[in-house]
Amino acid sequence: MTFAWKAAGLTYNRYLAVASRVVRRSLKEEKRLAAERRGVSEIRFAKWSNGKQGELKNLEQANAAAAVESAAQGGQ
Amino acid sequence: MNSLRIARAAIRARPALLRAPVQRRGYAEAVSDKIKLSLSLPHQAVYKSQDVVQVNIPAESGEMGVLANHVPSIEQLKPGVVEIIEESGNKQFFLSGGFAVVQPNSVLSINAVEGFPLEDFSAEAVRSQIAEAQKVASGSGSEQEIAEAKIELEVLETLQAHLK
Repeated sequence: MTFAWKAAGLTYNRYLAVASRVVRRSLKEEKRLAAERRGVSEIRFAKWSNGKQGELKNLEQANAAAAVESAAQGGQ
Repeated sequence: MNSLRIARAAIRARPALLRAPVQRRGYAEAVSDKIKLSLSLPHQAVYKSQDVVQVNIPAESGEMGVLANHVPSIEQLKPGVVEIIEESGNKQFFLSGGFAVVQPNSVLSINAVEGFPLEDFSAEAVRSQIAEAQKVASGSGSEQEIAEAKIELEVLETLQAHLK
């Protein structure tokens, strides 16, 4: 069985993140405020090569960019 | 020994329906007819190995009800409502998708990213998000944006169907 999101190049992880985000947004006001904080991540990473630190990147943005690239290739 | 054999033969001779359960000999019936449920989210354990009667889960392969002594299996969950039937009443949680693992010896573990009781959802927020997601899904965004909007639509429509 192939899922539509899989065919579009999304990973299962991304699928779950999108589904969870929309569930959090559907909550009543006070619950939503507490829950939405869980969706935020502030992880940054950098690639080290030849003993030097590379550019510091935000993990979420890098993941989103990778997902777009993967979607453009039709999810191979 | 001989008299015992005669007694046994006598029991066997009687039709099965007449055999009273009090006379039956066997091992102690310690086997519970409950299933131990663990419903865990990354930030909270909603159920911690608690005895429940039945759990209805929205698996990708179809809706299924899990009772005690279920065949061990692993099911991917669709975003949807998990119904937990306890002796004290029923509870419904909307889960955003995850996995249910039916383990041997009547143990059921459900893992999901988000899960809330149905009464925590706002029908109005769902309605406005459906309109928004429909706009994106039929718009001219990137393939990824459209795919994500379609996931959102699927979740929201299930949620709306259960909120009524």
